[in-house]
Amino acid sequence: MTRPAEDGTVLDSVRRGDARALEELYRRHSSRLYALLLRMLRETADAEEILQETFLDAWRRAAEYAAARGSVEAWLITIARSRAIDRIRNRGARLRLVKQSEELAPVQNAQHEPPDVHAQTRLRRALGTLPPEQRRALELAYWDGLSQSEISRETGDPLGTVKTRVRLGLQRLAELLVG
Amino acid sequence: MTHEEFLDQVDAYALGAVEPTEARALEQHLASEGPHPLCEAALARARETVATVAADLEPVAPPPSVWDGVARGIAKGQEPAQSTPAPPEGSALSRERRPARAFRRAPAWTYGVAAAAVLTLVVAGVQVHDARRSAALASASVAECAKDLADARIDVLRKEDALQLLLERGTQLVSLKATPDAQGPLAQSSGVVIFNPRGRALFVGKSFPGQPTRDYELWLIRGGKTVAAGLLPAGPDGRVFADVRPEVFTGGRPQNFAVSLEQKGGERDAPKGPVIFLGAVAAP
Repeated sequence: MTRPAEDGTVLDSVRRGDARALEELYRRHSSRLYALLLRMLRETADAEEILQETFLDAWRRAAEYAAARGSVEAWLITIARSRAIDRIRNRGARLRLVKQSEELAPVQNAQHEPPDVHAQTRLRRALGTLPPEQRRALELAYWDGLSQSEISRETGDPLGTVKTRVRLGLQRLAELLVG
Repeated sequence: MTHEEFLDQVDAYALGAVEPTEARALEQHLASEGPHPLCEAALARARETVATVAADLEPVAPPPSVWDGVARGIAKGQEPAQSTPAPPEGSALSRERRPARAFRRAPAWTYGVAAAAVLTLVVAGVQVHDARRSAALASASVAECAKDLADARIDVLRKEDALQLLLERGTQLVSLKATPDAQGPLAQSSGVVIFNPRGRALFVGKSFPGQPTRDYELWLIRGGKTVAAGLLPAGPDGRVFADVRPEVFTGGRPQNFAVSLEQKGGERDAPKGPVIFLGAVAAP
């Protein structure tokens, strides 16, 4: 994570309407956010669009940032992930329709796979310490944007069990990654 | 919601894995009279964990065009924190719902057109239909469609305009077939998209049951992408007669059309409600 205190100062300037401050935030965080969006969305055009929307959101809503609820980086990641999850869910509906339509007539659907940016080290080790079912629930929520109800449907596990796995899994990751 | 209930769900909330109603309840708890130091600290910790997972990815520099787009957005005069009050960041409440643009509704309802003119057009339609049969058009019949148009209680000028489109060179008809989700009275409905490669298009449907709380929405499918093509207002007699916006055809020839049943205002990117009709565009 990059200089949370300085990020807070930069965000103060963004709040006052300083576009150069937003550019500074972009310079600091866009590469990490872009990697995250590529991993979640697996499509370059969508990742670029959501990254752009994330920083426009940050510009419009800088006044809403509350330091007590996390760092500026965590705030930006929350915005980016929320928008990516919306896109994934819309895309799910779209894919269902496209799949139905493909039964009527073949459509050209050449998707470009971005490079694999899932090159974790510390994260992979941390995830490796989780029970497989906790890890699976977290991965479905984190990368695929599934809600707990959707995970329950996907895995066939009761919703209460899924909720417990998500809670314990993230808390365990917090111990390992955040300390 | 109690502090304990909040703490129980805060991890899933930070992950974006709660349902919109749950997210709303959590946000209302934080917004309620506080203070909520424990809840805020738990949220901060959960968000930092989520952020740390992302921070472990290998950074990838985005193309310069992304920042250019941000800069353009700012230049358009979007002042920070002065836009319409927004819901909490990254929450279910923050999801924008932009209503789909509605079709132009028939300005007036009339009861018919000169019978001779209709008959002429129907006959002409049959001839066009015969001429095109070998071209493997979708199963919709030009004659049937002309008859439907003749029966439709719409403005005479619009009717003539539609019939003219039907007879234009290169115009295709795409018959939409009911899917298994078209249940009850919907199974009796039918719809046809009449479209010309120049981008002029109409939707004509019949026996569409009234939907007091939902809207019918037309979709165009092209290259694996869905394009919202507008809402389909059903008349009191169950007939639908709607112009399709020409701009939806600018991206190229569609492969399919579909109709879904959405909440009022429709969807922007992809159908969320049941898809009730689907039809394939024949090869040119």
